[in-house]
Amino acid sequence: MRGIVFAKRTAKEILRDPLSYIFCLGFPVVMLFIMTLLNNSLPKQAAMSIFEPKNLVPGIAYFGLSFVMIFISIQLASDRTTSLLMRMHASPMEAKDYILGYTLPALLISVLQVCVTFAIGFSLAAASGKTLTVESVLIGAVKLIPSMLIFISLGLIIGSVFNEKAAPGLCSIIVTICGMLGGVWMPVDTLGGPLLKVSRCLPFYHGVYAARHAGFDTSLMISIGFAVVFYVLSVVIIGVKWKKDVA
Amino acid sequence: MEQAILVENLVKKYGTKEAVKGISFEVKDGEIYSLLGVNGAGKTTTIKMLCGLAKPTKGKAIVYGHDVEKETNEVKKIVNVSPQETSVAPKLTVKENLEFMAGIYGADKATQKKKAKEMIEMFGMEEVKNQKAKTLSGGWQRKLSIAMALITEPKLLFLDEPTLGLDVLARRDMWEAIRKMKGKLTIILTTHYMEEAESLSDGVAVMVDGTIRAKGTVDELIRQNNAKNLEEAFVKIAQAATLQA
Repeated sequence: MRGIVFAKRTAKEILRDPLSYIFCLGFPVVMLFIMTLLNNSLPKQAAMSIFEPKNLVPGIAYFGLSFVMIFISIQLASDRTTSLLMRMHASPMEAKDYILGYTLPALLISVLQVCVTFAIGFSLAAASGKTLTVESVLIGAVKLIPSMLIFISLGLIIGSVFNEKAAPGLCSIIVTICGMLGGVWMPVDTLGGPLLKVSRCLPFYHGVYAARHAGFDTSLMISIGFAVVFYVLSVVIIGVKWKKDVA
Repeated sequence: MEQAILVENLVKKYGTKEAVKGISFEVKDGEIYSLLGVNGAGKTTTIKMLCGLAKPTKGKAIVYGHDVEKETNEVKKIVNVSPQETSVAPKLTVKENLEFMAGIYGADKATQKKKAKEMIEMFGMEEVKNQKAKTLSGGWQRKLSIAMALITEPKLLFLDEPTLGLDVLARRDMWEAIRKMKGKLTIILTTHYMEEAESLSDGVAVMVDGTIRAKGTVDELIRQNNAKNLEEAFVKIAQAATLQA
């Protein structure tokens, strides 16, 4: 109950910031339009399959989740700098209430973002005469769930450890790494070599791969593994760091 | 009269630094008790220990019969705190902030609304009730902060520098609000403004460098230090402590 009350507060705080809409919903949609236009303008000889709707739409849906990470980290970091945290810690709130209070709104925003991205991506693909099946859209969206948890956990960890100024900077680095090494904008599989090896060590590559391909593959398993590890880590860090903050 | 707080030889260390050095005092139910001291005297640390935010290194602190260290959850149910800095959810309206706080302490939706309405009336916040907290003036934010603490109906309320940074009129307004609460609950007040403590307190403790250098009623402290008012008494106590150190 307390966790739900706290989650409603967090959701209101995030959703009342216009930047949330610009980055969490506007940005993926704008990228979809631009990249679809780019893909339609590319000559066939270019063979840039990552900009084909079947790869582009899940890729951007995945990339968009990294912006949820930014917002949750900023919210958490700013909560830590105000005395609201002291007030909350003096209340009967428990660690699980805080975790739920940040995770639930972030998860809802992520689901909404993925739905909007896939819906617009589906329409754009149809408008450009390309095929994007309903089945692949639904499977891709479901397979993004572990990745949602990964980005939420990263947001929780960064927001717990760093302040309001440092958190967005650090998140931007992760967003860039995610875009490049995750294979959203760059065909890491084709490039191969050490770059691919590094990519495979990170959760981003597997998250994007899982969203782009149907079936219960190894990448999905790895994504679930990363999600569990990062989420447990975020719970531990919040517990330890927040107690230190108020003591 | 029931005892609200009993503190005996309370110590708090952060690493090698001793922030609170074995303080003892007691407060009776319904009193306004002021903790006075310059910055870094240990007032906020004492408050943090009494409301279960910081674990005492040594000593005993009992709040309405509950040990703050062993029965922290029980203590948290009956105390509330209005911290010295802004402690409101900035993008929530006044009404939403109040309902949010009531909800955190377990009130259902109908009760949240009823209690928020009561607080809005009590603090005369009708004109700003739908305004986002971040757009309020300092005085309104402080009022909201105290209302957020009171909405949970605590037996013990910690007011940490409630009038810091407020103009004279807003400060007087706040004093009036605190006076209205007198007798209904126990209040621990920390302040830098001596006239505030003089005007509101039943009991006073002067803290210097983590220790309590003097305690008693305002009149007792003035008399003991041959002073004209509490401010003069406080200066004498603080200076004597500094010279001793």
